[in-house]
Amino acid sequence: MDIEFSKEDLEFQQEVQEFIKENLPRGAELWTKRGEWFEALRNKGGWDVSRWPVEFGGPGFTPTQRYIFDLEMAKNSTPPQMPFGVTMLAPILMGYGTKEQQDRFLPGIRDGSVNWCQGYSEPGAGSDLANLKTKAELTEDGQHYVVNGQKIWTTLAHIANWMFCLTRTSSDGPKQEGITFLLIPMDDPGIEVRPIITLGGSHTVNEVYLTDVKVPVENRIGEEGKGWTYAKGLLAHERTGLAGIQNSVLALEKAKENAASIKVGDGTLMDVPAFRNKVGALEAELLALEFTELRTLASVAAGGSPGPESSILKLKGTEIQQRLQELNIEAAGIFGAVWGNGTAGPKFARGATGAYLGGRATTIYGGASEVQKDVISKNVLGLGS
Amino acid sequence: MDLSYSEEQNLLRDSVAKYIENNYDISERNKLTASDEGFSRENWKQFAELGWLAMPFAEEDGGIGGTPVDTMIMMEEFGKGLVVEPFLATVVMAGTAISEFGSTAQREELLAGIIDGSLLATFAYAEEQAHHDLSNVTTSAVKDGDFYTLNGTKSVVLNAQTADKILVVARTSGDQVSDHGLTVFIVDKGADGLKLDSYPTLDGLRASEVTLKDVKVQGDCVIGKVDEGMAVVSKVANRAILALAAEAVGAMEMLYKDTIAYTKQRQQFDHPLSDFQVLKHRMTEMFMEHALATSLTMKATMLETQGSADTQRTIHALKYLIGKSTRFVGQNAVQLHGGMGMTEELRVAHYFKRLTVIDSQFGNTDHHLTRFVA
Repeated sequence: MDIEFSKEDLEFQQEVQEFIKENLPRGAELWTKRGEWFEALRNKGGWDVSRWPVEFGGPGFTPTQRYIFDLEMAKNSTPPQMPFGVTMLAPILMGYGTKEQQDRFLPGIRDGSVNWCQGYSEPGAGSDLANLKTKAELTEDGQHYVVNGQKIWTTLAHIANWMFCLTRTSSDGPKQEGITFLLIPMDDPGIEVRPIITLGGSHTVNEVYLTDVKVPVENRIGEEGKGWTYAKGLLAHERTGLAGIQNSVLALEKAKENAASIKVGDGTLMDVPAFRNKVGALEAELLALEFTELRTLASVAAGGSPGPESSILKLKGTEIQQRLQELNIEAAGIFGAVWGNGTAGPKFARGATGAYLGGRATTIYGGASEVQKDVISKNVLGLGS
Repeated sequence: MDLSYSEEQNLLRDSVAKYIENNYDISERNKLTASDEGFSRENWKQFAELGWLAMPFAEEDGGIGGTPVDTMIMMEEFGKGLVVEPFLATVVMAGTAISEFGSTAQREELLAGIIDGSLLATFAYAEEQAHHDLSNVTTSAVKDGDFYTLNGTKSVVLNAQTADKILVVARTSGDQVSDHGLTVFIVDKGADGLKLDSYPTLDGLRASEVTLKDVKVQGDCVIGKVDEGMAVVSKVANRAILALAAEAVGAMEMLYKDTIAYTKQRQQFDHPLSDFQVLKHRMTEMFMEHALATSLTMKATMLETQGSADTQRTIHALKYLIGKSTRFVGQNAVQLHGGMGMTEELRVAHYFKRLTVIDSQFGNTDHHLTRFVA
């Protein structure tokens, strides 16, 4: 066993660190000059699409390089990309799309000129996603699908140009079969997007109603009825990405700073044993979770599968995110109640309250925690169906 | 021992419950929280007519002579209805200070107005640097002949925006954290030098930062004794904690019941969610948290009514337990409602937000647990 990265990997890490130092805009420019940042990443050899293989213009990172790259980016809070195109749809296009589909859609995904949303969940298909009912019927001439149904919790559907969508083309046999993966333009007159206002008053998710939406057959990915297989690999990937471990490491440091700015008695909130112990417990668990991620990486780097440990990353990762959010509203004290444009109390209090409310979603989306535990007990522990 | 409610108390509970059922659904509440004042003056008038604003005050002051148990009954129902009217600020907080510590003249002048609904008031105790410590007060009051001059800022003052009188806790002597040396003043909302910065709280209610700059108040505006205001603050805090606990108990009951109803009708994997053991057990735990919170709320309220020596310690235990149980019940109600629990459309989200605010008021779980074990 060797806890250190190889010499080559350490050199790569240094290269990433130097790149960030030279190119990352600082302060307010982080937002205004983000275009230049992505340009620099692209010119570096496809670092803008760090997960893409070489033949599609990506850097073709090894698993370890990818880990190091993500780690350094997270440590420096680099501007995030919209995940739906680059991270979620692109691998499916590369794996199962035709050359024409790849040529048509990948460039817009890469340069961010086309926004995508994910049409998976439905009112009756949440945790039980395969239960989806949105119907796609082939026209008699075999040239189009006519799509009717409703999607829900569709993130950023209101700004999306396209939706990648799971539809039902057959109800015979098990429900995982008969699902077809379609790419649907959002400007179709049969599409209506209605906002859903979530806890805290923000608008990121929507309902999407599809009425007689005509989708050409060339917008189907892979074979009819195989959409579930294509989407499933992606879901597993989405779940590991949601662990956000490095973000939590940063958030923990910030939570400590916040607490240290709150005076209690002769010291600060960080000197209060009840609070300090909660911080310490989180720090210890984060150390363990970071190394669990590394064990997963080591298994993949050695040519194996991610291993059973990967299943717990999303579960524990989101739980830790939520506990960190709790620490911040506790540190905010009475100002944890302030909402809207109030400027009362410590500065961090405003963001803390919104983060706590919004953070409740992380153990629901991308597979609720209860469902994740079912997956682990069934697939890892062999505990029945 | 008899833990049942009297006939009058049952009538009181039914009357509040009925009012809420008829006048107070979530869309009605959303309209109120979006309005300028954040509540309905019309509702407040009705509260007065129904005698609710008179409940805790002595008959000789024009009240009904109820006890903290009666307040508990009302607050529990208010919690179920997510009531936004300033009952806590006016009747429980300011009302307790005036009725328990006010002079005859103060009681005559102010309680009549509170009881008939014409006077709104609040109690400004918190300051930014205090972090839940009630005695940590820097707002100063300096005596100058017949007057006191007040300077400082009070934070997150509930319903100050609509209050006619603000009861301000200020330091007349002693160091910043000393129990001794606090004095409570009645300050007119229109006083020169008094400035409000008002905002909504995340549960849709209203609060303000209240800044006092050379505000002059007359000597007869002191409630209770000069330098001994900590007795007033403690009493108000205890009564407020009991009221908030009862409100939380009402809200938690709705949350666990709403969750049961939702999981029974929501189908996934060809079963209602309520068929899954992990969810059954979770809801059982929510029910148990509610039951224990109810028990301790009742016990602490009865001890306060009797004036028992165990009251203070029990109230510390209560606020700790309420914080713990509301977090568990609130978070799991959202979790078990899935995406629906995250929407503003269902009332679950609104109970969750209200309970989150309750934990931040009058000391959170850590604060009270530390004092309970001290």
